[in-house]
Amino acid sequence: MTASIGSTVTATAGKEGGARSRRGADLIVKSNLLLVFLALCVVASLLAPQFLTGRNIANLLQQSSLTGIVAIGMTMVVLTAGIDLSVGSVAAFGGMTIALLMAAGVPVVPAILVSVAAGAVFGAFMGGLSAYLSLPSFMTTLAGLTAVRGLTYLLTDGKPAEASGSEAFQLLGGGFIGYVPIVGIIFVVITVLAAVVLRGTTFGEYVYAVGSNKEAARLSGLPVRGVITTVFAVSGALAALAGVLLTSRLTVGQPTAFNGLELDAIAAVVLGGTNLFGGRGGVFGTFVAVLLLSVLRNLCNLLGLGSFFQMVVTGLILLVALVLNMLIERRGARA
Amino acid sequence: MTAERLRMTGIVKRFPGTVALDGVELSVRPGEVHCLLGENGAGKSTLMKILAGSYRPDEGTILLDGRPFSPATPHAGLAAGIAVIYQELDLLPDLTVAQNLLLGRAPRLGPFVRRGRRARLAREALDRVGATFPVTTRVRDLPIAAQQLTAIAKALTADARVIVMDEPSATLSESELRGVFAVIRSLTAEGRSVIFISHRMEEVMEIGDRATVLRDGRTAGVYDLASTGRDEIVAAMIGEARELVGATGRPVPEGEPLLSVERVHVPGLIDVRGLDVRPGEVVGLAGLGGAGRTTLLRALFGDLRAHVAARLDGHPLKVAGPASAVRAGLALVPESRKEQGLMLGLSVSRNAAISALGRPPWLLPGRLGRRVTEPALASLGVKAAGPGQPVGQLSGGNQQKVVLAKWITRGGIRVLLLDEPTRGLDVGAKADLYRQVRHLADQGVAVLLASSELNELTANADRIQVLYEGRNVACFDPRVSPESVIAHTVITGATP
Repeated sequence: MTASIGSTVTATAGKEGGARSRRGADLIVKSNLLLVFLALCVVASLLAPQFLTGRNIANLLQQSSLTGIVAIGMTMVVLTAGIDLSVGSVAAFGGMTIALLMAAGVPVVPAILVSVAAGAVFGAFMGGLSAYLSLPSFMTTLAGLTAVRGLTYLLTDGKPAEASGSEAFQLLGGGFIGYVPIVGIIFVVITVLAAVVLRGTTFGEYVYAVGSNKEAARLSGLPVRGVITTVFAVSGALAALAGVLLTSRLTVGQPTAFNGLELDAIAAVVLGGTNLFGGRGGVFGTFVAVLLLSVLRNLCNLLGLGSFFQMVVTGLILLVALVLNMLIERRGARA
Repeated sequence: MTAERLRMTGIVKRFPGTVALDGVELSVRPGEVHCLLGENGAGKSTLMKILAGSYRPDEGTILLDGRPFSPATPHAGLAAGIAVIYQELDLLPDLTVAQNLLLGRAPRLGPFVRRGRRARLAREALDRVGATFPVTTRVRDLPIAAQQLTAIAKALTADARVIVMDEPSATLSESELRGVFAVIRSLTAEGRSVIFISHRMEEVMEIGDRATVLRDGRTAGVYDLASTGRDEIVAAMIGEARELVGATGRPVPEGEPLLSVERVHVPGLIDVRGLDVRPGEVVGLAGLGGAGRTTLLRALFGDLRAHVAARLDGHPLKVAGPASAVRAGLALVPESRKEQGLMLGLSVSRNAAISALGRPPWLLPGRLGRRVTEPALASLGVKAAGPGQPVGQLSGGNQQKVVLAKWITRGGIRVLLLDEPTRGLDVGAKADLYRQVRHLADQGVAVLLASSELNELTANADRIQVLYEGRNVACFDPRVSPESVIAHTVITGATP
């Protein structure tokens, strides 16, 4: 009966081991994505020698940073079990607002602040509707997606707006420090800030609590509605910031910009391992996922594969990642 | 030898790192109500899942009516005549009763459902359990007792020979339970076997013929309930002598009331007047299901619109919502710990810290969270693999302690509102929880304790307020009034 002896030993050690193996599984999920990302980079550098050039990597960062900034805000929303479909429209609105303000001679800093604040107000309004009236955020932000895009068109009757800004303003979206694009630095800083807020502050803890169980959070005395409203405001502000940065790079505000941005952002959030039903995940996963998707696109470009092909590959990668995450999580849950 | 309906022999089930069942024996006769007893974690659920086909056993054999039986899926189990009615009735709330009763087995004509025939079959099944509601009702719109009957009727449409009922009474009021018991008796009269899982010993003694007690994954004993004392069975469940209920003969707390409720009025639901709780006092709220105990607690906690005229420590109590109630020093342990009390996916320490975060320090690195929750978790004796273990993996008793730890960690509790805090807990966990509540009361907290278990109230409350149809009709001193007298008021609303 060695089996029973062995089993009593494992039974005492079992609980501790269960938690550890779960943490292990979490780690695998996270580093899993990182490993896939690194592997992809290796493959890319082998297939396309230009991949590892400074210029290419700088380009890559430049292209992925705007989506990334938006995806960070989206991560916070999704952690509360919400979703923000309006980010593309809000980003376009932010981009147009700053272009018009600059054209009207408003100094850079107040112009940026006003544009970003406008995004925060849109976000807070849609999130507030969802929180205080118990409407699904899917619906309030779907309404926002349409209405804000319409508003953006109304600003200039659908025409692009010249930003006519200073050089300093153009540097913000298009400048480099060495090979590093400034938007890339902004993306990294925002990711780190969001991580600190989510992991180190009371507000971050509330975000997870609300996403994990809204009812229990409310009965624990947490300001559930305030938390939800705030994450949507953050998401709106970051979306508008992305719009500002794009206008800065192009020196022109495009009312049609960022169409479908919400889907790219959500894809990155989900690929990054954040649970769509809230309560689990974080911004680092999103960060890596944004880069991964961007490398994939970059690789296709370097190999001369068309954008149609890219879409198929991106979709497939997303599916594989989801299935993989699910399998690992299921194994962790059983342990 | 008596004929056997079901015999499970030497059942072993291992999970990674633990042995859930270690050679369990279970024998059930035709036409008997066989109670399956044991503390939480003793292996009852695992054993029933093996019987139902949800789990495969690692070792052991099952004989059903003398034939080997090893269901690979719940569907196979059902087809062989094993129906399990889980506590969280697995009915689909948005479908009608008829759709639920014949889910996946609806009479068909080609690709079309024969709706008339289905309705007739469903009606017959409902009639057999004495249910009178129409089969076209959506399950969501039915009261919980009617849903329970629907679940039983569903087992009947499958012509189950063995029906497992997992704590059917947890959500039922006394009179509803009578109805379910009557149905159980008619089922056994037809020769069907019922395996009845419950924590309430009164019910077990009343409805059961025999009982199998599980302890730590093994069969601790099989008892003939007609000839066995209740204490003997409880002793077998616990395995060691343990004090079951709180102290009697405590000094009565005196002094000015800490919480003084002049009136709580929720139109159409409750109208409670004149209810005081002194510091250090545990006031029990007794009443039938729907008498308004939960509504009263929720109203005080600001969780529903109510007209509340109350004073806390002499000052008017103004509560705009749960958050402001917490700031005022109120704490609620809600009725359903999984849906309302805990963030199941988050760790023990994060759950325990969550209410304490509303105050400085605003920065909360994970380690600090663990440090501030440690004293509360340790003093409550929460058993977990570590502070990082997801709270959803803990047993019911430990989960409830984490809910309590949440408030202790926050500190500054003046009034503790407990709504059915021992639901689903085993005997040992109950005693443990009440000990902690008494400990809090001894520190000057005023406690309002709502429970359906009158014996727990008489053992743990200093006074018992009886609610009947939304009004507090009487107040008893449990040391003076016998339980039977209080029970009479609970059921009839009449004061002695």
